[in-house]
Amino acid sequence: MSMLQKTSFAAFTLAMLIAPLLLGDYQAYLLTLTVIWAILALSMAIVLGLAGQINLGQAAFVAIAAYTSSVLRLRYGLDFWLAAPIALVAVIVVAALMGLVTLRLRGPFFILVMLAFAEIVRLLIANWQDVTNGPLGLRDIAPPEPLFGLHFETKIGFYYLSLAVLLICMLGLSRFVRSKVGRLLVAVREDDVLAEFVGIPVMRNKVLGLCIGASVAGLGGLLLGPFLTILAPSQFTLFASVDMIVMAVVGGVATLAGPLLGAAFLVYVPELLSFSSEYRPAMMGGLLILMTLFAPQGLSGLAINLRAALTRRDRHGD
Amino acid sequence: MLAQQLANGVVLGCVYALCALGFTLVFGAARVVNFAYGELLMIGAFSTLTVMQTLSVPFFVALPVAMSGVALLSALLFYLTIRPLQRRTTTALGGELQIILVTLGLLYVLREAANVVWGTAPRQMDMGIHGIVLIGKVVLTKQRLAVMALTFVLVLALYGLLYRTRIGRALRAIAQNREGAAAIGLNADRITAFVFAVSGALACAAGSLLGSLYAVASDMGSSPLLKSFVIVIFGGLGSVPGAIVGGILIGLLENLSGAYLSFAFKDVITFAVLIAVLLLRPTGLLGRAT
Repeated sequence: MSMLQKTSFAAFTLAMLIAPLLLGDYQAYLLTLTVIWAILALSMAIVLGLAGQINLGQAAFVAIAAYTSSVLRLRYGLDFWLAAPIALVAVIVVAALMGLVTLRLRGPFFILVMLAFAEIVRLLIANWQDVTNGPLGLRDIAPPEPLFGLHFETKIGFYYLSLAVLLICMLGLSRFVRSKVGRLLVAVREDDVLAEFVGIPVMRNKVLGLCIGASVAGLGGLLLGPFLTILAPSQFTLFASVDMIVMAVVGGVATLAGPLLGAAFLVYVPELLSFSSEYRPAMMGGLLILMTLFAPQGLSGLAINLRAALTRRDRHGD
Repeated sequence: MLAQQLANGVVLGCVYALCALGFTLVFGAARVVNFAYGELLMIGAFSTLTVMQTLSVPFFVALPVAMSGVALLSALLFYLTIRPLQRRTTTALGGELQIILVTLGLLYVLREAANVVWGTAPRQMDMGIHGIVLIGKVVLTKQRLAVMALTFVLVLALYGLLYRTRIGRALRAIAQNREGAAAIGLNADRITAFVFAVSGALACAAGSLLGSLYAVASDMGSSPLLKSFVIVIFGGLGSVPGAIVGGILIGLLENLSGAYLSFAFKDVITFAVLIAVLLLRPTGLLGRAT
């Protein structure tokens, strides 16, 4: 990271740490919602940015993590901190298997098969009554147990936990993108035939990209259960994946801050305009169309363009 | 029992085939995966119902009127949202992905618009054909026979359009080679708009048939959209015979697995078979490598 990026990341972290202390409980709830959506939008941005694909099955990864961890806790009495890694491993294994199957397929086939996969997962959850409680869903999911003397039962405690997950994901990714493997992934995205030709194991890298995206989605899923306290199959339809896409696209997938910006935008704009929730889908759809047509690089792209235009004007002024 | 299930499967398969036809046409000619297609089906069903009620005409009179309306809407949506993206050359995301994003956006917008115009309550649509027919031990309602007949007529009309008219030939040329077709002076935009219009008309017919069999509701589009995906992957994306064969196969598969294996898991079985097919034949049963 450059000096400027480091400073702005530190300033942002500080602001996010202080914010809930100054604002009330309800604001802490909205901030947590933003942070969890940001984690999910980030996972979609990884697939879009690193694998160059739209994954309409992303909600399935969220669902697998959320349900696995919550079922282990509610039915087998496991601790959150024991259930979470098991659920994450489950997500990564499923993602790797799906990747091996689907990433061979070109263009729209990948998108359609991932959508079919998401439907299978949702239908299994809805019909596997003994374990998942079917369409009624799981209820009374408790906040994570204390760890190393840290408590997460309060709204603010849980917010800090979510924020920590988001920050770790963002930092990890910014390092990963610059690493050798990260650059290989970008090469594969740009031209997989050429990448294969120069000896990059294309399949392995694509599967890796999908697994990284899925595990970030899984982290979001782990938080979702305790945050909402209920889980139901209706939360994990195609529309959940589309919501993640809208946030990633509105924020912009080219920068790490993009998904967070998109999540904040889509949580706070309806809140400030005191929208009734029935207009939310129309707003999501309209935004997706307008952003794709007129600002394909998202809000963060607009900001970068604006900064570039301003510095250019400064130079002309000299 | 088996004969009855097979007959039910074929009827369901006919409607599915009709759903998939419009979807696969647009993909074949314009390389567009249209996620808003299910909503065109829904709007088509509501339009037919509205024409029936306001002009108090029977189903088969209202249907062509509604079909032309939805055809116009579909062509209009192409001009407003998809054509600007097809013209763009340098973008942050791939052009194909952007078109998918836009059609996903349309899915939300059209559904919400329908909620505003027609409300959220499901409605009945009466085709005006009653009674049953017995063929051996198989019971079929006359309405289901009418559905099959209408599908047959529409498929014939589509084949006539594709293989017997100038614009059909131009359309197939565009589907085979876009640049080549442009080089010999075909106006790709106009032909693509025409494909969208045909696709919209087919969607309207499929939606109206589904609506008359079950119910007309603003959320009726999701299931046929997913079914269309499965069918075109089965039959090969962009392949017209593939959509017909795929539609009937999926209709049969669903009915048989629902009757003999597990009703709750019939969709899971369909999707699992789909993934298995793709593993063995990555371009679908009748598809060619693109």
